[in-house]
Amino acid sequence: MISSSVAGIVFANAHDETIAKLTQKRSIASVPFGGRYRLIDFCLSNLVNAGVSNIGIITKEKYRSLMDHLGSGMHWDLDRKSGGIRILPPFNVSRVRLYQNHVEALYGAMDFMTRCKEKYIVVYDARTVANIDIKAVVKQHINTNADITVVCRKGLKITNGDNTMALDVNKEGRIVLTGFPQKIAADDVRSMGVYVFNREKLIEIVKESYRTGGDTINDDIISANLDNLKIMAYEHKNYAEIMDCPKAYRRANFELLDANVRKDLFNNERPIYTKTRDDMPTRYGVDSCVKNSLIAEGCVIEGTVKNSVLFRGVKVEKGAVVENCILMQGVTVGENAVLDNVISDKNASVGAGMVAKGTEEKEFFIEKNQKI
Amino acid sequence: MIKKKCVAMLLAGGQGSRLGVLTGKIAKPAVPYGGKYRIIDFPLSNCTNSGIDTVGILTQYKPLELNDYVGSGKPWDLDRLNGGVHILPPYQGQKGGDWYKGTANAIYQNLEFIERYNPEYVLILSGDHIYKMDYSKMIEQHEQTGAACTISVLEVSLEEASRFGIMNTNEDGSIYEFEEKPKVPKSQLASMGIYVFTWEKLKKYLTEDDANPDSDNDFGKNVIPLMLNNGELMMVYRFNDYWKDVGTVDSLWEANLDLLNPRIDLNLSDKDWRIYSRTVALPPQYIADTAEVEHSLVTDGCEVAGKLDYSILFENVTVEQDATVEYSLVMPGAVIKKGAKVKYAIIAEDVVVEENATVGCDPTEIARDDFGITVIGSGIKVGRGAKVGAKEMITEDVKEEA
Repeated sequence: MISSSVAGIVFANAHDETIAKLTQKRSIASVPFGGRYRLIDFCLSNLVNAGVSNIGIITKEKYRSLMDHLGSGMHWDLDRKSGGIRILPPFNVSRVRLYQNHVEALYGAMDFMTRCKEKYIVVYDARTVANIDIKAVVKQHINTNADITVVCRKGLKITNGDNTMALDVNKEGRIVLTGFPQKIAADDVRSMGVYVFNREKLIEIVKESYRTGGDTINDDIISANLDNLKIMAYEHKNYAEIMDCPKAYRRANFELLDANVRKDLFNNERPIYTKTRDDMPTRYGVDSCVKNSLIAEGCVIEGTVKNSVLFRGVKVEKGAVVENCILMQGVTVGENAVLDNVISDKNASVGAGMVAKGTEEKEFFIEKNQKI
Repeated sequence: MIKKKCVAMLLAGGQGSRLGVLTGKIAKPAVPYGGKYRIIDFPLSNCTNSGIDTVGILTQYKPLELNDYVGSGKPWDLDRLNGGVHILPPYQGQKGGDWYKGTANAIYQNLEFIERYNPEYVLILSGDHIYKMDYSKMIEQHEQTGAACTISVLEVSLEEASRFGIMNTNEDGSIYEFEEKPKVPKSQLASMGIYVFTWEKLKKYLTEDDANPDSDNDFGKNVIPLMLNNGELMMVYRFNDYWKDVGTVDSLWEANLDLLNPRIDLNLSDKDWRIYSRTVALPPQYIADTAEVEHSLVTDGCEVAGKLDYSILFENVTVEQDATVEYSLVMPGAVIKKGAKVKYAIIAEDVVVEENATVGCDPTEIARDDFGITVIGSGIKVGRGAKVGAKEMITEDVKEEA
């Protein structure tokens, strides 16, 4: 079995700044997404569905909400005697400051990497939303005898070229050139921030890169080693989005209203797990009107909801109109209130008759627990 | 074993034959309820919310799905180091073994299980009622009165009383007589099938009952009367909230739609008394542009493009465009295809109602005596354009009609 020979390392805080409003009090890994998930659910579910059960999660700061979400790991079947979830809090490698980059973070996780016995390690950036067949990625990695395999996708919609690496791949599937073009071409092949390493190789590269002041995985681990290591690309063919800016976050949420996207992301063979909440089913009132919306459990809808994503436990009272909105867990919209192009963080409440409107270009943002 | 104050024993072995095809493959406590629950979630959640952490579940009829569902007891927080949930099927011993002959016999065969925890009290529950109840209050009353047995009762109307086991009581709530389904009821206090026994007394009377070859080994019929005759102190515990027996198709349908009735007080989103259930990992529900959803409950994984009124969709149900579902329950995985009409019906798991088929009918459309809830058994296919009338219970695929 290849599965038990694979461990995982997840970056929970990398790129927090890309959706700053939602990461003021949480890591990017615990940003709510798609009605009932947190971004890290996709990563953990993909790993678990491939039989990976020893997962280290590298955190840096603001990780209380992540710890809350993960608990013992039981919702992902990761409460195990051997392996399971290991939170790797900041490890002060430089003695003077928290780690500043990927390479330092990985160096801080050296104990995890050296102690685990698995032959391969999947390194995963928690901001990638996709249902990736990790088993197939590892299989290709083994079959091609690669040192590193980079999961990539052609025509990945990206908004912030800066930290999403483009790849030139030769006929054999080997990566021969990398770059960071700001301009997006439709046939661009971009890295999805998910990598398979031979564990011993990873330890070696990280030590060396740390010694020479390395910074990012893309620059100092992938790009710098194209000639002396066999670095292969694995093409992920169905839906993927990288949360590289607020726009991408908003777009990806609304993309879930498309049946094909839902089919790509959610399937019976590889389900996406998340923390359960023991809510009631959603109740629709006598005069409710709901169109083209994704609605999680525990909502009570007595007003109108159109083209929106509602998380668990959202209440839309009589006469209220919610359009083009993303309303997170526990948001209450009072009677006759009108919301258009609003993104609301958790447990906010909108008073009766209030009107809040944003535009497609610039949404109206309501902070966590805010009352308007 | 660490001593427990109270051990709960949940009688979950009955066939529930009055539910017909709905219990063809599963035991009654495993029948889906309320969009995301099973009937057994209620007694299990009540136990955990009442601080009872040791529960024996007595199974006999079609236990596979129920066993799977209960599993380690984790969803109800009943996976404990000491105690927790235990499935107790009938077993063979050195002198052979027997099926559970009656409710009392099922407990008698598991005295050893209870003995291990050496409890002060034993709570007997059944798996066919929908209600939220704090058992700890009942146990507290039992403790204070020093009764040998306390029976939970509900006040019902005089007309209804002849359908229940009725407790005739003195002013202080002590029972002097028990009547099973009396033609002329003397009291309106109906037994809810929930008993608290003092453990020593329970052990004594179950052993005595077992020694009597003429006994049916049933709590209501045999054990309770035996204790009364022996002059034991038996008390009623009055319960005033929502409680419904879901033993028949009609009552199951009603108890489900009660969740949509604003006049009925059964709040399942009460944060202080959650009803837990084992859930599957499914995406949120999607309500399409063409959908009209009113006055309904809808669960994770559903895709609705048709019309929904006064209905409950369980997980993973699809209602296609131009299909209508009214006054109905649609259980997990069922598909209602384009143009199909479902009214006053219970659609069991994984049923497919093909295009333009009609299931069930409105009570106003037919004579009163002909009306009844239509039931489609699990996995059945109702062919394109086919018609299934009121009261029918379908166990085989229905052919397409031109």
